[in-house]
Amino acid sequence: MTSTLEPAANLPRGSVRDAKYVSERRQARQERWRLLRRRPSFVIGGVIVVWWTLCALFGTWIAPKHPENDRIEPYLKPGAKALFGTDSTGRDVLSRVIVGSRDVLRSAPAAALISVALGVTIGLILGYFGGWIDLVFGRIIDAVLVLPAVLIGLLATTMLGNSAPVVVGVVAALFTPIVARTVRSAVLAERDLDYVTSARLRGESSWFIMFREILPNLWGVIVVELTIRIGFAIFTIATLAFLGAGPQPPSPDWGAQVQDTYASDIVSGFWWTAVFPSLAIASLVIAVNLIADSIQAVAED
Amino acid sequence: MGRFLLKRLGAALVTLWLATTLVFLVVNVLPGNPGRQMLGAQAPNSEVERLNERLGVYRPLGERYVDSMTDLVTFDFGTSFKYDKPVMDVLRPSLWRSAKLAFLALVITIPLGICAGVFAARRQNKIQDRAVVMASVATSSVPDFVNATIISSLFCVTLGLGSVFATPDSGAGVFEQFRVMIWPALAMMLLYFGYIARMTRAGVIGALQSDYVRTAAMKGLRPGVVMRRHVLRNALAPTITVVSTQVGYLLGSILGVEVVFNYAGVGRQIREAVGTQDVPVLQAAVLIVAVVYVLATILADVTIASLNPRVRLGGGS
Repeated sequence: MTSTLEPAANLPRGSVRDAKYVSERRQARQERWRLLRRRPSFVIGGVIVVWWTLCALFGTWIAPKHPENDRIEPYLKPGAKALFGTDSTGRDVLSRVIVGSRDVLRSAPAAALISVALGVTIGLILGYFGGWIDLVFGRIIDAVLVLPAVLIGLLATTMLGNSAPVVVGVVAALFTPIVARTVRSAVLAERDLDYVTSARLRGESSWFIMFREILPNLWGVIVVELTIRIGFAIFTIATLAFLGAGPQPPSPDWGAQVQDTYASDIVSGFWWTAVFPSLAIASLVIAVNLIADSIQAVAED
Repeated sequence: MGRFLLKRLGAALVTLWLATTLVFLVVNVLPGNPGRQMLGAQAPNSEVERLNERLGVYRPLGERYVDSMTDLVTFDFGTSFKYDKPVMDVLRPSLWRSAKLAFLALVITIPLGICAGVFAARRQNKIQDRAVVMASVATSSVPDFVNATIISSLFCVTLGLGSVFATPDSGAGVFEQFRVMIWPALAMMLLYFGYIARMTRAGVIGALQSDYVRTAAMKGLRPGVVMRRHVLRNALAPTITVVSTQVGYLLGSILGVEVVFNYAGVGRQIREAVGTQDVPVLQAAVLIVAVVYVLATILADVTIASLNPRVRLGGGS
C-alpha cells in the first residue's frame, strides 16, 4: 500500500477500521475456501452437484431423446442404441434420468431454504430472549422431532393433495424446529459475549442486536445447517415421491420413476429401469452430504 | 435413579401429548376438503358430504379434540376406512413383522458400526479413517428405498441370491426366515451403519484425548485394556443416543424397504393406506412411531445414566 493512495485524512475513522476488518474477513473466507478445495470429498461432491444442476437447468437440451414423447423399442438392454436402456413403453431411460433431476432439485433446496430462514429467526428469538418463550417452544420442538418426517408428509399430502408446494411446505415445516434448535444453542454461546453487552449498553434495540450483531457471527453454523438440510430434504422428498406423494408418472422425476418401475420390472429382470434413477438419487444425496461434511469439518477447525 | 427416571417419564408424556396434538392439527385444522380429497374429483357432492359428516368435519374443533384425546388415552385409534375394523386390529400383525426386521438389522449393524468407528478413530486422519468416514457418509445418506431397489435387482434377481418377496411363510424355521429377511435387512443396515460408525468414531476420538485415558496409558495398562475399560465406556454415550433415535427413525423409514421387498410389515400397510386415503391408519402409524421413539430415547438415557454416575446424580450437564 502506497501512502499517496490513502485518503485517510478525509475519511471518518470508523470506515477505515471497517475496511481493515472487512479485508480480514475476506482473507478468512479465502482461507476456508482454499481448505475446502483441498478436500477430495468436497471436490467429488461439488462436481456431481454441478452436473445434476446443469441437468436440471438444461436437461431437455442435454438429453439425447425427449423424456416422455420419444419411443424406441420397449425394454432394450443398456447398449449402443440406448445407453441406459429403455423402459416398458420404449422411452429412453438416460434421457428420463437427465431431465428427472429437475423436480427434486427445485423442491429440495426450496424446502431447505425456507426451513433455514424460519429456523434462524425462531432460533435467534429463543436464544436471545430465553425465558418462557424458550421453554414453551423448546417443548414444541421436542414434540416435532418425535414425529417421523416421511409419515407426516404422507399424512399431509393425503389431506391436502400432493402438489409440489404442499410437499415443500410440509418438509420445510418439519425441518424448521431442527434448525431453530441448532441456531438457538449457537446464540446461547454468543449472547453473553462482550460485543453483545456493549451493543446493549449502547442502547441498540433487541432486533438490531439479534440480526445485525449476532447473526453475522452465525454464518458458519447456518451454512453447515443449510447444506445438511438440503441433503435431508432430497432424502425425504425423493422418498415421498417414491411412495406416491409427489410428481406422478409419466413425470420423469427420479422417485416417481422408481415407483413406476420397481414392482413390474425388477422381478422380470429388467433391472435398468429402476436401478438408474435409483443410482441418480444416490449420487446426488451422497454428493450433497460429502459437501456438507467437508464444510462442517472446515468450519470446526 | 428413581427420581431421574420419573423426571424423564414426565418429560416424555408432555412430548407425546404435544406430538399427538400436532398430528390432530394436521388432520383436522389444515385447510382443504378431506372428503373430496379422499373420494376424488369425480365423486358426487352428496357422497363427499356424507364422508365429511362421518369424519366429523362439521363438529366444533374443541369437541373433536377432546374426543380424539380420550380415544388415544384408551388406545383407541379409531376405525380403518378401508377394512371397517379397529385400526389396531389391522396393524398388529404387521407391526410384529416390522419389529422383527428392524431388530435383525440393528443386531447386525450395531457391533459392525462400533468396530468400524473404533477402527477409524485409532487411525485418525489416515487414509483408512478417511475411507471409513466417506463410506459412512455415503451409506447413511441414501434413502432406504434406493438401497432396497439396487440390492433387490442386482443381488436378488440378477445374481439370483435371494427373493424379492421377502415375507417368510408362516411356520418357517429361524434359519429360513433369516435367509429371506437378510436382503431387506441389508438395505436398512446400510442406512444405520454410517450413523453408528460416525458417532462411535467421534466419541472415541474425544475420549482418546482425555486426561483419564492418558493417565491409564501412563500407568502402564495395555492398549486393549485402556480401550475397553476407559475409552469405550465413555465414548459410547453419544452412540447409544444415536441408536435410540434411529430405532424410531427405523420404523418410520422402513417403508421403502418393505414396499420394494414386498415385506408384509407396517410400512407396506402405510403405503396401502396412502393409496386408499385411510387416514386413521396413517394417523395411528405416526403415533406408534412417536411412542416407540420416545420409549427408545428413555431407554438410552437410562443406559447412559447407568454407565455414568455423573448423569444419574444430576451433576455435569
